[in-house]
Amino acid sequence: MELTAQLLVYGVLMGLIFALIALGLSLIFGVMNIVNFAHGEFLMMGMYIAYLLSTFLHLDPLISLPIAAGAGYLLGIGSYHILIHRILRGPMVAQLFGTFGLMLFLRYLAMYIFTPDVRSVKQGILVGKTLSMGWVNVDASKIFSAGVCLLAFAAIYWMIYRTKLGRGLRATSIDAEAAKYMGIDTKGMNALAWGIGGATVALAGALLAHFYYVTPTVGMLFTLIAFATVALGGFGSILGAFVAGIIIGLIMVISGQLVSELKFSFIYVVYFLVVVFRPRGLFGW
Amino acid sequence: MLEVKNLVKAFGGLVANGDISFELQEGEVLGLIGPNGAGKSTLFNCIAGYYKPTAGKILFEGKDIAGWPPHLVTREGIARTFQGMKIMPNLTVEENVMIGAFCRTNERQVAKKEAREILNLMGLTEFGKELPSGLPISVQKRIELARAIATKPKLLMLDELAAGLNPLETKEIIRTLQRFKEERKLTLFLTEHVMEFIMTISERVIVMAAGKKIAEGRPEEVARQDKVVEAYLGERYAKGR
Amino acid sequence: MGQLLTDIFFFNDRPRFERVGFLIFILIILIFPWIVTSAYGRAVAIKFLLFALFGLGWNLIGGYGGQVDLGQAKNVGFGAYATALMIVWWKVPFWLTIIPGMIIAAAESFAIAYPMFRLKGHYFAIATLCVALVWKELFIFWDWTGGARGVEIPIRSGADFVYMQFNSPIYYHYFIFFLFLLQFFFMNWFRKSKLGYAVQAVRDNEEAAASLGINVYRTKVVNYTITGGLGALGGSFMAVYYLYIDPDAVMPLDLSILIAMTVMVGGAGSIWGPIIGAAILIPLDMYLGAWLGAQKRLGIDFMVYAVIMMVIAAKEPRGIWGIIERKIKKETR
Repeated sequence: MELTAQLLVYGVLMGLIFALIALGLSLIFGVMNIVNFAHGEFLMMGMYIAYLLSTFLHLDPLISLPIAAGAGYLLGIGSYHILIHRILRGPMVAQLFGTFGLMLFLRYLAMYIFTPDVRSVKQGILVGKTLSMGWVNVDASKIFSAGVCLLAFAAIYWMIYRTKLGRGLRATSIDAEAAKYMGIDTKGMNALAWGIGGATVALAGALLAHFYYVTPTVGMLFTLIAFATVALGGFGSILGAFVAGIIIGLIMVISGQLVSELKFSFIYVVYFLVVVFRPRGLFGW
Repeated sequence: MLEVKNLVKAFGGLVANGDISFELQEGEVLGLIGPNGAGKSTLFNCIAGYYKPTAGKILFEGKDIAGWPPHLVTREGIARTFQGMKIMPNLTVEENVMIGAFCRTNERQVAKKEAREILNLMGLTEFGKELPSGLPISVQKRIELARAIATKPKLLMLDELAAGLNPLETKEIIRTLQRFKEERKLTLFLTEHVMEFIMTISERVIVMAAGKKIAEGRPEEVARQDKVVEAYLGERYAKGR
Repeated sequence: MGQLLTDIFFFNDRPRFERVGFLIFILIILIFPWIVTSAYGRAVAIKFLLFALFGLGWNLIGGYGGQVDLGQAKNVGFGAYATALMIVWWKVPFWLTIIPGMIIAAAESFAIAYPMFRLKGHYFAIATLCVALVWKELFIFWDWTGGARGVEIPIRSGADFVYMQFNSPIYYHYFIFFLFLLQFFFMNWFRKSKLGYAVQAVRDNEEAAASLGINVYRTKVVNYTITGGLGALGGSFMAVYYLYIDPDAVMPLDLSILIAMTVMVGGAGSIWGPIIGAAILIPLDMYLGAWLGAQKRLGIDFMVYAVIMMVIAAKEPRGIWGIIERKIKKETR
């Protein structure tokens, strides 16, 4: 009983982080129908920012949250302007390899700068603290992260459905050509989607750094988790990413308890089954 | 040869073809006309296997082919061209036609010979080694036609073949088509929303409007009927005549 | 029969400079181990031929088929494990392990292709990646495959043509060159065959292909199945060349990526593309990687790769062969 409760809480908390990671991927796919293979590398960058600020400037990793988000925004926008808009009109193969190249570049840039050593954030108000609530013991940092994820989701949701900018994004995602004729700066909207995508995932990275180790190759795993999440929620669906993130979190925690060596395989299998048998996902169009 | 019986095709609640029936005799040239959105392409796609009919029968030489996948329909002897051209852009013109010829043979040399022969008859030999994407529309249309003929069909269905061609090119493609019809004993079924082309070549026409067959008969008779004019030009024009 | 041989061994349909180029290439590979005597140089040549072999196989699905498959490493793994385990368990001669390996890989590909080809584009690419990763985790998890420890093939003394174990890399050089030529001539036949044209027609336009009597779904499944079998061939070679395999060596994601990249950089959908791609990437990998490794600067070689990849994707999706072909066309005009 205690174990079950512990697992459920842990799964939901991890799931919220997964949801935040998947949010940007889903948004970018929704707006311009391109899959970003470098998504996990954006996350990795957010993690390293938290690590650097904490280790060398002795800043609490909490302070690194806005810094990481800002850096992620710039990275997203920069990637769009330097690379993505050049490959958008190319064949699908070129798109895939473009973002794949970006992924490799960022990954090995990190390898060059930080070496393959495993690192972790050691100081901070929340690091290593646990809260005890009845049966359940939870890391304070995970509770806090989950809260930030909820806030970030609410903010993005509000932005997309309640602001003029959000309307531009939605219009571009429905029909970019038509949106262009209506006077919407679709190129700007694409860049914005990449910016938001980069900011949210880097924020998730800074949160994740509180309780997950950092290596240059950590990104791929989270990219794949994000793919599975986005597929399950429905490509392009914000709400779908939220619900699917929690489901994926639960699947991973529970399957990890059953056969820990294969916990990631379960997620890959989920992706495969979803895209084959329900390609629209839970909330897709 | 082809008999369509009570064909219905609905997309959700939208009925694109409602209870269509007609027959097509061997060696005949049948035209299908109607304004945009009348359901011509839907009917074509049902016969060619791209859509699964909601109800009804499509008998081709006695076999009910309704719901068959497109490649089996083609192998049965029904070839088609597409409204928006669908030529393989990374293969040469000759290879495009060869792929059609492979429908009836496994031998590359046989397919190649067949492709060259058809290209020659079409007057396309000079383009054989070129990639199709840079060629003018009139040439691309003839490539599509050549490719369909290479599958050795008994029935050839042409979707808006004359669209995008000028009168001279239209005349030329009609002449080519008629020659192939004679030589290869083809039955033709064509749609067009431009009247001239279809009226000159067809022996009989079917008129569709809003998913229904509204008239059938010899071209000059059909063109005189009020409801046909109405479908094309609106009610007021038909009555004010 | 005569026609079949012509289709396999001749390139009459290709321009003369290509045929001459291929002859020169064959000559260089034949004399290479006698000119370059350093062990490292010879190892580079062998790895180049191995990746050219992998590339030729992947080109089937990635180039002619136009589907990005990021899971070819699983097939390499099937081949490598089939060979290694059969030799270790039952002492089966190497030559008899090749076909079973290819059949296993092809059978798995066939089974997985069935659901897989309901997917297209990005969805397909990610699915191939997931499938390959699941297999790798399973091979680490299982005991009978040796788990993460891998499989070691016992070393024999002297040259052995039954188990293909040699002291001198020269043997391996000609051996992999032989496998390469086998696959190369198969591809030369394939691209001109009915199946080859069907695969290309499906890549270019599925609806039009169907209208010409091609069973689109079946064509994709068959193509993917053959690609799987061809991947295993190189895997079998890896088992007897390295004499030690584990999931990280023969089934990693990096291997899948490198195979796909070789073809993309060289030129997808052309018979020369994989060779050109391997000729650029493998020496770059081995020399730059080794030099930078000695300087303790990990990662720069892959950054160079990544930049090449991005530039190719943005500027010339048809790869280096695309550039060459265009140049030649301009000159002959």
